[in-house]
Amino acid sequence: MLCLGIESTAHTFGCSVVNSMGKILSDTREVYKAPEGSGIHPREASRHHMELSPDILRNALKLANVTMEDIDIVGYSAGPGLGPCLRVGAVIARTVAGFYKKLLVPVNHALGHIELGAMLTGASDPLVLLVSGGHTMILAFSHSRWRVFGETLDITVGQLLDQFGRALGFASPCGNRIEQLASQSAGKYLQLPYVIKGNDVSFSGLLTAAVKLASHKTELADTCYSLQETAFAMLAEAVERALSFTNKKEMMIVGGVAANKRLAQMLDSVCNRQDAKLFVCPIKFAGDNGAQIAWTALQEYLATKMNVQVEESTVQQSWRLDSVHVSWRR
Amino acid sequence: MQPTLIKKGAEADIYIVEWDSKKAVSKVRSPKSYRHPELDSIIRKHRTIHEASFMSAAKSAGVMSPFVYFVDPAKAEIIMEFIEGQNVRDVLTPDICYKIGRYAALLHTINIIHGDLTTSNFVMNKRLVLLDFGLSYYSERTEDMATDIRLIKEVFTSAHIAVRKAFPRFIEGYASVAAGKKTEKILENVREIEQRGRYARMA
Repeated sequence: MLCLGIESTAHTFGCSVVNSMGKILSDTREVYKAPEGSGIHPREASRHHMELSPDILRNALKLANVTMEDIDIVGYSAGPGLGPCLRVGAVIARTVAGFYKKLLVPVNHALGHIELGAMLTGASDPLVLLVSGGHTMILAFSHSRWRVFGETLDITVGQLLDQFGRALGFASPCGNRIEQLASQSAGKYLQLPYVIKGNDVSFSGLLTAAVKLASHKTELADTCYSLQETAFAMLAEAVERALSFTNKKEMMIVGGVAANKRLAQMLDSVCNRQDAKLFVCPIKFAGDNGAQIAWTALQEYLATKMNVQVEESTVQQSWRLDSVHVSWRR
Repeated sequence: MQPTLIKKGAEADIYIVEWDSKKAVSKVRSPKSYRHPELDSIIRKHRTIHEASFMSAAKSAGVMSPFVYFVDPAKAEIIMEFIEGQNVRDVLTPDICYKIGRYAALLHTINIIHGDLTTSNFVMNKRLVLLDFGLSYYSERTEDMATDIRLIKEVFTSAHIAVRKAFPRFIEGYASVAAGKKTEKILENVREIEQRGRYARMA
């Protein structure tokens, strides 16, 4: 069985063809780049997606060496995300599904991150740290759902890095640039607010303090270093608490911020202490992509035969992961 | 008696030791290699001192907590009473939820915010005993009390989804101590915090 997955929740428009064995036959995507110092403008991002989508879709089919006729299922990211972007993906999905008479399956984007990560890394029952621009959550699977054991009470770690970077005039996403600058620091730690509430974290005060610090006469590298050290240590501590609480023997990190080496290093240290095995989603598939949608749509359809009619297909900007019923996991 | 390590917790290592020829617990917040040493030592020292003083303060509110025998801030070590019993995380019942609710309200009446109100921080022997005050602080803000309650709600809906009516029983316990009006106000604030969360549905 072949599935075409269409991802379109924020800055990335991606298409991918995946088969039911979990082989990714193609993965094409384009990322909308906001002007330096500003964030994603939903209208501009959706225009970007609209203009490039035909080529991205055509390439995905071509690279997989298939035509639309060969596809069985069309999966699309139905939320959570930016409304205008979600609608572009949904329109493309409805169009091809309707025209070629294919099954249409809506997918929760965050669930896609986890399911693809688990498939690629081989983790079977992990504690998950989902870190991206849209999510900062610690989850474990129980009673048919991914249950939240900890999360951010305000902004996500991706937003923290992006908004800090943008305040300095960087182009988003800023995580990579901040990581590079931090690596130039001699390891001088400037104190920043470290806020942990049980298993939950809060980054908004840290953002304000870090931006303020950067506006003073401090070395930028030291500020980036201290920001990373503080934010990631908060995440590492929250993860260690959740690991100790749940006694999970596997830990998996997924989402765009999973690409950060310092974070992975800290989590590795946590896992060593708690006797858990660390799985890091491969960098190529850490960020948003069509394969996460295709793979999840396949799993959903194979387990429940769930699909929607074109006229009943919708998108939801707010759609929490812990509200999604997952029937294919035990 | 040689100190024996019984638990490598997220926060600290727990040893069984002998103190004044009695069986006691030594809780050592050992350095975390992933944290910057400067940040790490501030956190460990701060939490050790806080924990010791809040353990004693909680008793004046009627909340059972271990007796503190000795505190060493430099080593980030607390030696305290050994509590026999089962970890509530493994034996949670609706009835214990009610008792946890009472404890939370008792702490809140003297403006103690526990900061880490989770089932694994309770031990059940004949009575319920609350541990781990490392994240505790004083506050009279409704928001901070609501944060405590939101946390235990998160724990109930993730780790204890099989325990029926856990949160409603907790609230009954809370309301049995706090005034009905205060409970309502805090619950309203809990909803507010949840609304602020990522991708929460607008009510």
